Amino acid sequence: MADRRTALGKESGPLLEAWHRALISRRTFLARLAGVSVAALFPLTGTVATVPGQVTTLTARQRAVLAAVQEHLFPADAVSPGAGDIHALAYLVNVLDDPRKDPDEKAFLVNGTGWLEELVAERLGKSFTELNAEQREAMLRAIEQSRAGENWLATLLLFIFEALLSDPVYGGNPDGIGWRWLEHQPGFPRPPVDRIYGKL
Amino acid sequence: MSVDFDVCVIGSGAGGGPVALTLAQAGYSVVVLEKGPWFGEPDFYKDEIACCRRSTYTPDLRGERHVIEEMDGDGSWEAESTAVSGWDWWNGNCVGGSSNFMSGFFHRLKPDDFRLLSRFGSIAGANLADWPIGYTDLEPYYEKVERVVGVSGRVVAHPNLEPRSTPDFPFPPTQEHVVTGMLDSACKELGLHSLPVARAILPGPALGRRGCEYSGYCGSYGCSSGAKGSSRAALLNAAVATGRCEVRPHARVSRLTSDAAGRVNGAEYYDRDGKLQRLDARLYAVACQAIETARLLLFSTGPRHPQGLANRHGQVGRNLVFSAGGSGTGDFPYRTIAPALVAGFKLRGPFVNRALQDWYTIEDSEFGGEAVKGGTIEFLFRHPNPIARANPRKWGEDGLVWGVPLKRRLESTFRDARYLRFEVFCDWLPVDDCFVSLDPQVKDQWGIPVARVRIGHHPHDLKIGRYLAGKGEAVLRQMGAENVRSSVSGSPPPNLVAGGCRFGNDPQTSVLDADCRAHDVENIYVTDGSFMPTGGSVPYTWTIYANAFRVADRMVERLGGAGLPGGSAPAQATVSGDS
Repeated sequence: MADRRTALGKESGPLLEAWHRALISRRTFLARLAGVSVAALFPLTGTVATVPGQVTTLTARQRAVLAAVQEHLFPADAVSPGAGDIHALAYLVNVLDDPRKDPDEKAFLVNGTGWLEELVAERLGKSFTELNAEQREAMLRAIEQSRAGENWLATLLLFIFEALLSDPVYGGNPDGIGWRWLEHQPGFPRPPVDRIYGKL
Repeated sequence: MSVDFDVCVIGSGAGGGPVALTLAQAGYSVVVLEKGPWFGEPDFYKDEIACCRRSTYTPDLRGERHVIEEMDGDGSWEAESTAVSGWDWWNGNCVGGSSNFMSGFFHRLKPDDFRLLSRFGSIAGANLADWPIGYTDLEPYYEKVERVVGVSGRVVAHPNLEPRSTPDFPFPPTQEHVVTGMLDSACKELGLHSLPVARAILPGPALGRRGCEYSGYCGSYGCSSGAKGSSRAALLNAAVATGRCEVRPHARVSRLTSDAAGRVNGAEYYDRDGKLQRLDARLYAVACQAIETARLLLFSTGPRHPQGLANRHGQVGRNLVFSAGGSGTGDFPYRTIAPALVAGFKLRGPFVNRALQDWYTIEDSEFGGEAVKGGTIEFLFRHPNPIARANPRKWGEDGLVWGVPLKRRLESTFRDARYLRFEVFCDWLPVDDCFVSLDPQVKDQWGIPVARVRIGHHPHDLKIGRYLAGKGEAVLRQMGAENVRSSVSGSPPPNLVAGGCRFGNDPQTSVLDADCRAHDVENIYVTDGSFMPTGGSVPYTWTIYANAFRVADRMVERLGGAGLPGGSAPAQATVSGDS
């Protein structure tokens, strides 16, 4: 349906495009892929750890894994900024701190780091953060094979795009670095810090 | 009779604003109940996160959702909550409603749109009906909207031009983009009439509002300058200035109550603190947009209305229609643009403002040579929102694209080309399988059943859509576009919806009479797009505005005419909840 919305020009979409399908696939997924090791290790059965109004606290390990995954998905190169340059992790932390965001969605984002770490530990006996680029690619492609893992990665990419292209007032895109790279002309007036989402 | 207000308007969008303004100007006390907050120009910024990535102007789907019934692969109807699918069916719950966020492509209906059945004949499986009024009844109100809401444009003679009582628009067109000239040339080469599209956007300061600032971010965004003719900027501010209209935001109407005689005797609503309040009025105008209007009427049962208000014959919610047809895109790589034009071609801000109506009526052997109803092809640039443009690029042929390949994709999408689109608007034939009902299980955060919407369509719509999309593609190719493609589907755009309370002369087959008053409830009018038995082949907003002004005049007459207030309390004298 994402395609349908795009085709019709409607701009407002779900907060996490992939999440709701993840909920559905969570039910069908285990039955369909039972016995496949990726499914067993990426089961999406984590319980909800957050409640509305409560800030999601990330452990140092979770932060490190998220940062490493983000940098792999969106690496810096000679001509363009990477996840670190666009403050993608800080941006994601802001998303997780949003009291209005669905606690299930937040838990899904955070718990994914644990499932990834379990997979990497079983396959390679290490943490994702200790892997080289080739191993990281292999592990992320492995979890992509499950519907839930694909949704987790697609969601992380969505928030990387938000960090890259939203107004700097939200904590990403410092000094408009993403806009400059893609020669994007933002609209005006731009939002002041006290008149943004969450404060309107 | 003690009443709080002469008129209670439920919903503050394009169907509510004209009623509030007209009745207040005529000397009557008006209250407008709007479920959402009251934003103004100082609250609107070009902020993609606030406008389009989060629920800022629409409810949280966890608390308020719809249930959508779609046909699955084996032909049965499958229902899914929008809180699960993420397919948001809200369009703007705030003062001014979704008119705050429209693009403002303004088209009148044409005379044939009022008599689709008698002009083109019946189509098996479609519930076609002529309107109980004709174009000439509505024309003066189209003209009024041009002046009062502020419509800019330029009239050119063409074969499908609708009759006008004035020679031209009261405001000159908004600025046009370089591509508009290319489009005009291509259409001329093809022997087509490329038409300037009227916009509900002021090109300069007027009507107490500022002119367009051409930021290039218009549709989906609240207007920061006030140039866009939303119900809020153009009508409600003026209504409030009369001193006789009170707008109550955060007032979520749950039910209209009715007495033993069947008259509506009160509106119940939840205020910002979640407290149930109540007020009464002599006349009620319901304008919550088609789906929520049907839902409110269906839920408002009473001693004389066991199936819901105005629903004696089970017609409320039926024959929902959408303004749709399909869309297409063509790529214009900058390397293919004449060097002298590139800078102007890249410019964001000026509008395309062109449409084709050469096939508003189609006479083609493809359709057996008989005249059939066609539609409009509207041209526009792809929406500039960068996150929305970047996000689809992560999907490749075999799953996700990331890393360096993703970055090169983004560079190509953003830096190498612009993308001209067209949208096709054809009649969405009213059918039995497109309707609103109350969901038997799912309730909103106030415990009220949510609207369940079945979204069937008639296969004829796709035939017309494909025909028109082919014509749109030919224009893009003639312009030199690459990678021209289109898609036509029966999936409706939730933001362009009408019907559900069609007006007509027969109470057995319609909900409202020709004045948009309920056949079986004497003091309730429906003034949003719900009244439309057929929708024409254009976006609805201008017609909704015009009809609401028309109905407002009937309501003024009903109350005794302008300048003859009926002796009720002034707006500020009675506060709901006191009674």
